[in-house]
Amino acid sequence: MPNIMSILYASGNESKLNELTLHRTTASLPFGGRYRLIDFTLSNLVNSGITSIGIITRSNYSSLMDHIRMGRDWDLNRKNSGIAVFPPFVLNTSREIYKGKIEALYTVLDFLKRAKEEYVVISNCNIAANIDFEDVYKKHIEKEADITILCKEGKTTTSRRIVLNKDTDNIIRDMYISESSSSDEKLISLNIYMIKKSLLISLVERSYARGYLDFEKDILFKMVDQNKIYAYEVPGYAAIVDDIKTYYGESMKLLNFDVREQLFGKENKIYTKVKDSVPTIYQANAKVKNSLIADGCIINGTVENSILFRNVRIEEGAVVKNSIIMESGVVQKDASLQYAITDKDVTISESRNISGFITYPIVIVKGKTV
Amino acid sequence: MLSKKECVAMLLAGGQGTRLGVLTQEVAKPAVPFGGKYRIIDFPLSNAVNSGINTIGILTQYQPFELNQYIGNGQPWDLDRLNGGAFILPPYQKAKSGEWYKGTANAIYQNINFIDRFNPEYVLILSGDHIYKMDYSLMLKSHKENNADCTIAVINVPLEEASRFGIMNTDENNKIYEFEEKPQNPKSTKASMGIYVFTWEKLRAYLIRDEENKNSSNDFGKNVIPMMLAENQNMYAYEFNGYWKDVGTISSLWEANMDVLYPECGINLNDPKWKIYSRNMAEPPHYSGPDSQICNSIISEGCNVNGKITNSIIFTGTDVETAAEISDSIIMPGAVIKEGARISHAIIGWNAVIGENCIIGTRQKAPVKGQWPIAVVGPKYKLEAGSILKAGEMIGGNQNA
Repeated sequence: MPNIMSILYASGNESKLNELTLHRTTASLPFGGRYRLIDFTLSNLVNSGITSIGIITRSNYSSLMDHIRMGRDWDLNRKNSGIAVFPPFVLNTSREIYKGKIEALYTVLDFLKRAKEEYVVISNCNIAANIDFEDVYKKHIEKEADITILCKEGKTTTSRRIVLNKDTDNIIRDMYISESSSSDEKLISLNIYMIKKSLLISLVERSYARGYLDFEKDILFKMVDQNKIYAYEVPGYAAIVDDIKTYYGESMKLLNFDVREQLFGKENKIYTKVKDSVPTIYQANAKVKNSLIADGCIINGTVENSILFRNVRIEEGAVVKNSIIMESGVVQKDASLQYAITDKDVTISESRNISGFITYPIVIVKGKTV
Repeated sequence: MLSKKECVAMLLAGGQGTRLGVLTQEVAKPAVPFGGKYRIIDFPLSNAVNSGINTIGILTQYQPFELNQYIGNGQPWDLDRLNGGAFILPPYQKAKSGEWYKGTANAIYQNINFIDRFNPEYVLILSGDHIYKMDYSLMLKSHKENNADCTIAVINVPLEEASRFGIMNTDENNKIYEFEEKPQNPKSTKASMGIYVFTWEKLRAYLIRDEENKNSSNDFGKNVIPMMLAENQNMYAYEFNGYWKDVGTISSLWEANMDVLYPECGINLNDPKWKIYSRNMAEPPHYSGPDSQICNSIISEGCNVNGKITNSIIFTGTDVETAAEISDSIIMPGAVIKEGARISHAIIGWNAVIGENCIIGTRQKAPVKGQWPIAVVGPKYKLEAGSILKAGEMIGGNQNA
């Protein structure tokens, strides 16, 4: 049993995810055909033996509560520890919902202090990866690090990403924020940190008292010179979902066999809410190529290079290419859909023709009929 | 003292199912996979839960490990209850004796104490070898309305097949006056489905008497029901009109799976009002590759499919490689079908590996009496590349088991 607990932020980057996070947190964004983004982080923690988990929410969190319930699907309905969801907490001093991660952590100090574990994993919920936190912990201790930052080689985007510069010993020498996209591969922070709980508590208390808000800028950046910050590169596939373009791009990578092997690896399974759907039925006119398809679908049309979530119906003569169709979507007879992301419960009516572009996939909002 | 339950269900899940050959060599029949992501036992369990019965004793005896693990704490069926829930009941050692379950009635007899703990009015006896969706609460209601001591679910079968079943002869009110086991000249077409509701007090007394009779084989159909009938107990037939299929043989197991492909047969699993629950395997969505051609088939989660599949059911976590062809077949969980293998009219057991270019279930010119002989490859069996398995043949299994 590792000596680690975890605090997750359910929100983040909602403004850049536009329509997809109108009704939900980033954590509950559907991803990979049958999952929500938070499933990856929760499963990684549970698979690494970390079962004391607090989730800090900010807004629109009912979809998240509905998804997680008591945490049973991740084996987190425990007598000891388990899952705790924190609705937004109004601080007495400011009379407002927290601004920034430091205030957010300040609102859960009691939870942190009460927990018996000595180390904490702090993570955003916009990551899809298969991470072994026991290994992270091993390296963290070995390197005698004050903080370990999980990272991977990747490109910067127009969303806020933190670029790390490390020395040959994997100790971080510099870190900065980038908000311009570049095709160069850089070491990008996954915004997942491991830190000793007592250190975290003192950092948060000190920073809060001085009115600091930003965990990265106001705490991490200032630590680079005095403290040992270790860069742990996550092996294999790791996706950061921070805008529509990365959501689309990272989803489509799942059509690659190796990526699926790395993400859904045979030993460390990814768990999600069980819905008891029936297996998918391919009817007489189904033509499906290079697609990822969840349970409960009924397919009688053409589907190529696409991802279908649960209970999607593709009617006769319908053509779906390079698209993502979320739960309970219907593409009616002879309709066609290209480079589109349709949210839950979207219906594309008979013979409609909808097309986005690879660099600008069209998003159709939850529950709409086109 | 546990609080009282109106009705307790007892599910007979200890049968070996010898007619399923290699498929039930290491697991009990109710644990055999069905319909892409289910096991046979999911049907009676889901039916019971959907009917509002949440105290279920599951009587196991033959090869129980797989079944025990599958049922676990009963959570997938919503049977992890504070009061009631799922209970696995293997035979156990008692003060004076300890023995295997000798027959269906003896299995219940040995668990009288278990049932008494819930102090039920009624006991529902189920078996773990049928595929059907049935609301037991309606049967229970009819039992109460008739003020019956025993109600037996029956289904109308074609007259020419009636001699294969236990047949109930009833009056116009469905009151049973005669029971004939596999009659040569059946007088009715009402076949027993092996589902009984008993008033517990009555059944309890009969089980004790049946046990005292040293010549009895302690079976409901052979002993208890005839004895109750002979003593003029109030016994009724409850007619069931839906889909019901015994999956005790290879061909009936194959047929029932094929029926799932055609919901118009009556077994629509995609019914939000009557879901069939099963233990989830936490597999990702299935992937259909660039060379896949799939029609009239069911594909479950975790599969990687890149071959040609028609009229088939592909269970959870199966790999079908390029240029493999599968038609009219059932591929059970975790099987691997290598490149160029051709499979038709077959059941491939779980985790079996079918080597490159194997041919299984050679095609025949015309079906014999509308039935194809089904080829079977046993669970975990590795069929070497290029092997041929003829229609109706069975391979695999442990000779020493």
